[in-house]
Amino acid sequence: MQNTLPVTNENGYFEIRLESIGGMGANLCGKMLGELGALYLSLNASSFSSYGSEKRGSPVKAFVRWCREDMPIRVNSPVVSPHILCIFHEGLMGRLPVLDGVEPDTRIILNTPLSPDEAMQKYGLAKGTLYCIDALKIAMESRSRINMVLLGAIAKAAGFIPLDCVKSLCRDTIGKKYPDLIASNLEGVQKGHDLLSDGIPLSAASAQGSPALKKDSFTWGWDNAPQGGINPRFGSTVSNDLSPSREGYIPLFLQEKCINCGLCDSTCPDMVFQFREGTVDGKPAMINGGLDYFHCKGCLRCVAVCPTGALVKALEKDYPDKPWFVPNKDLLPDSIRYEKTGPNGWITSDSYLDEKRVDGGVT
Amino acid sequence: MEKQKVLYESGNELAAYAAKQINYHVMGYYPITPSTQIAENLDLMGAEGEHDIKLIAAEGEHSAAGICYGASTGGGRVFNATSANGLLYALEQFPVQSGTRFPMVMNVACRTVSGPLCIKGDHSDIMYMLNTGWIILFADEPQTVYDMNLLALKLAEAVSLPVAIAFDGFYTSHQKRKCMVFENDSTVKNYIGEKKTAADVLDLAHPITVGSYMNEPDVLNNRYQLHLAMKQAKELLPVLFAEYAELSGRAYSFLKGYLYEDANILLVVLGSAYHTAMEAVDILRKEGTRAGVVTLLTLRPFPHEEIVRFCQNAAVIVAADRQDSYGADGGNLSLELRAALQRASLPVKVISRVYGLGGQDFFVEDALSLFREGLGGSAASFAYHGVTKGSGRQEQPAYFEPLSEANTTKHITTCSYDAAAGKMIVKGGLLRDATAMPKRLAPGHGACPGCGIPVNLNLLLKGIEGNVVLLFQTGCGMVVTTAYPKTSFKVPYLHNLFQNGAATLSGLAEVFRQRQKRGEYPAGEITFIMVSGDGGMDIGMGSALGTALRNHRLILFEYDNGGYMNTGYQLSYSTPMGAKSSTSHVGSTQYGKTFFHKDTPEIMAATHIPYVACAAESNPMDFIRKAAKAAAYAKSFGTAYIKALSACPLNWSDSPDKERSVIAAAVDCCYFPLYEIENGITSLNYDPEKAGKKIPVTDWFSMMGRTRHLTKDTYREITDKIQAETDRRFAKLRARSENPLL
Repeated sequence: MQNTLPVTNENGYFEIRLESIGGMGANLCGKMLGELGALYLSLNASSFSSYGSEKRGSPVKAFVRWCREDMPIRVNSPVVSPHILCIFHEGLMGRLPVLDGVEPDTRIILNTPLSPDEAMQKYGLAKGTLYCIDALKIAMESRSRINMVLLGAIAKAAGFIPLDCVKSLCRDTIGKKYPDLIASNLEGVQKGHDLLSDGIPLSAASAQGSPALKKDSFTWGWDNAPQGGINPRFGSTVSNDLSPSREGYIPLFLQEKCINCGLCDSTCPDMVFQFREGTVDGKPAMINGGLDYFHCKGCLRCVAVCPTGALVKALEKDYPDKPWFVPNKDLLPDSIRYEKTGPNGWITSDSYLDEKRVDGGVT
Repeated sequence: MEKQKVLYESGNELAAYAAKQINYHVMGYYPITPSTQIAENLDLMGAEGEHDIKLIAAEGEHSAAGICYGASTGGGRVFNATSANGLLYALEQFPVQSGTRFPMVMNVACRTVSGPLCIKGDHSDIMYMLNTGWIILFADEPQTVYDMNLLALKLAEAVSLPVAIAFDGFYTSHQKRKCMVFENDSTVKNYIGEKKTAADVLDLAHPITVGSYMNEPDVLNNRYQLHLAMKQAKELLPVLFAEYAELSGRAYSFLKGYLYEDANILLVVLGSAYHTAMEAVDILRKEGTRAGVVTLLTLRPFPHEEIVRFCQNAAVIVAADRQDSYGADGGNLSLELRAALQRASLPVKVISRVYGLGGQDFFVEDALSLFREGLGGSAASFAYHGVTKGSGRQEQPAYFEPLSEANTTKHITTCSYDAAAGKMIVKGGLLRDATAMPKRLAPGHGACPGCGIPVNLNLLLKGIEGNVVLLFQTGCGMVVTTAYPKTSFKVPYLHNLFQNGAATLSGLAEVFRQRQKRGEYPAGEITFIMVSGDGGMDIGMGSALGTALRNHRLILFEYDNGGYMNTGYQLSYSTPMGAKSSTSHVGSTQYGKTFFHKDTPEIMAATHIPYVACAAESNPMDFIRKAAKAAAYAKSFGTAYIKALSACPLNWSDSPDKERSVIAAAVDCCYFPLYEIENGITSLNYDPEKAGKKIPVTDWFSMMGRTRHLTKDTYREITDKIQAETDRRFAKLRARSENPLL
């Protein structure tokens, strides 16, 4: 079928940017959108992800560029001002500059249980049109995955993508490889399409009290960076606040059950447990002083090894004020200013990751 | 024109597709970002029987080039793909390939050369190839990658020279585009034709000697032959371009240009930047500026005359390189362009620019600004485009006190040497006491949730008292801890590429002792530790063995997650047999990795270093005590080697919180035996059978997505073999532990 793009930028492209964290399937979603344009919508297309080493739980971007079929794609740099911006993980909002480049004609799709009005208020969004969808809930109900639900939502928000084309694409790609998964994934796409909220226009008025991201006045450059990339700031990753890496769960500390055995400290990859010198039954001993949630990535290894049930799996949203939250005990006083960030996270390869199947979906 | 079809693929995927259609005999390779997908895709297709190419995952690029060379001398059609430091590691082999005149094809997904280590794109790697005697084609977009791959083989065989096809890492290697490929593989086979072999080591009826010992005057003449072959390639290329255009409808030439004929100002760039610059040209033309852009599709042979024809009407040329020939005031393209113009006495002003290093994106605005500099009239002859001076001072105070010998001496473990028994007696190591050891690594590193690497490092370092200096070989552990401008290390840390970490640490440990001896450094002890993944112990095996044989006083610590995880899980030699990885797919004709896991501890033991041990986080106290012993041995006797099995939730495809039990299962099924070798005497630290905990290997396999397929009946034959080999290795260890002489 022929397709005409309703809107394009000054170079003639319709552009999409997906903001996600590793493991949520944004890379595959971007790839599918590229294929959708190139092979199902009679457009010319390109797609790619932000690149780097392979990691789960760290920020990832995927980019899609569409244009008229007879037009070559010359631009290969990342998408700066997208027509559609889809944010896969609400935890990225206000923490990373995921909203950079949003223009009045940008359609923002946010994966959240909030309504558009609530999300607009909460994040002080000022530009574009906002659509919301609870992709996690839908994915769980349909035994699909977030990326499939959001694929359906993107098709709906774009306004010119026939859902049938998206479904044909799913059948031809996922269906061929994993025939037993296709039904649940098609349901995810359909529900993503049907359950996307109406869009609400955003304006500066709606952005009152918006928590703008603070930009550092300091920048490294050739004049002030140490020669040879040498880094004298030992231990400086401590200033990374990695809470966006968590996928909804935290270990909850029930201190009264703790026997200070140290197993949690032996299994934690993120140096979360703050043992201090103290006394047990009047004798000097190491005591578990609490958890540093700035650096906990929510892997729950500690919950698995705790012999007394002093560490339990809990939903993070149920504990806005985490009990026993202790910052890293070795920090010098007043030294820290946390930077809400993820580590570098990009995709270099997808042939293996494509095969990952989780809970009936493909990420 | 032959029948074609549309694919939506990246440059890497298309290079693999072309190789599949050609059906090369052999591909020798070693995974390196961003070229790895080529081998991955070929493996994926091979697992379904779509080609017959023998894919050989070497233990390093140097060996990969050797495999390719060997195969090409035996009359085979041979293929390779590499990037960056991998290309440099193999560099020595390239003149051998060209100098003895064996054709082959290698794709180079261009990436910046380290260090500091960077995995992103620029052209600093491919320019090292200019003097190797290889033909070098440069593809500007994925379609060209495909076309060049077909044409290259034909060219290589016609002039008996190897051909490299370069293209931009990521921009071209990873971006998916709509492309045309020949629908039938037979079209490709007919196009390239039967291989005509000039020299064949396998021709027993006509025995030949390849690689003579040759001095002057013969070498000069041999090199002149190579020069003539390059000239022949230059003459042949237009013929091949025309032939290919007839076949495909796509016409190529030495160069491509956009609105260059009447251009007053020209930008000359390589690769994907050419396309971006076209947008800038359109913008400038609308403003009334006669701008144009030119790119080269062939670097060797260099198209002198043709480039002059493309440039002859320009008043100003901006030659922009994605690399620098430091100190020469220009990248290699710009220097060669200047030479060509000078030869033709063209009165054109050239300015040289370096841009886009280390994956710095090239936006339309960058192209515009390069043009505007050229138009400005007073632009410097050479400059870097896009560098940042930096502003301000970093005002933050230090986060931590530096760790001192005093505050890392906690007496968690104590070691004393029993000379009569030849054993180190270790005491302590209780987990609750070990919580007192300050962490040598800060939190906030970027490892995946549940990653085993920091867990193993923390356990190791809980057992090592006092000062430590760490060296990491390239790998996940290094990438996740040192992303500039931050670092997780609270103690001195050094990185070197993974062919060479052990040797580097040897040098560091020895200079420490030399300086102490000369009174230049205070008395006291430092424990030197190299940390490597199992990948580093593949490519860096030689360096590790050399270090062990020299018996430097240091620790070699290997975290073995059974794969090259940092680059997307390609197989390592330590990957379990049968496990799937991105270079050992499971398909109708392939069950995963086809050979047994490497027994690195036994290889290290053969160097007769004083201490070799295997540790697992599932036995944490044993781990800490082994670390303490290793440090004691490294202090007084020589090299100690410890290997720890290290969980990778991402690529083992299991749940982060289950990892300790997965590791425990690996120990209980005897796949990963806990043992140590002290001064040649083996002790089994844990015998699952005696503990009544022995499980079949398939129980462990069933816990991980990468091996779960093996639990199906279809693979019974494979798992039986793995079980038998596992039991055999374990029985041997047990026998040794029962008899000190063994």
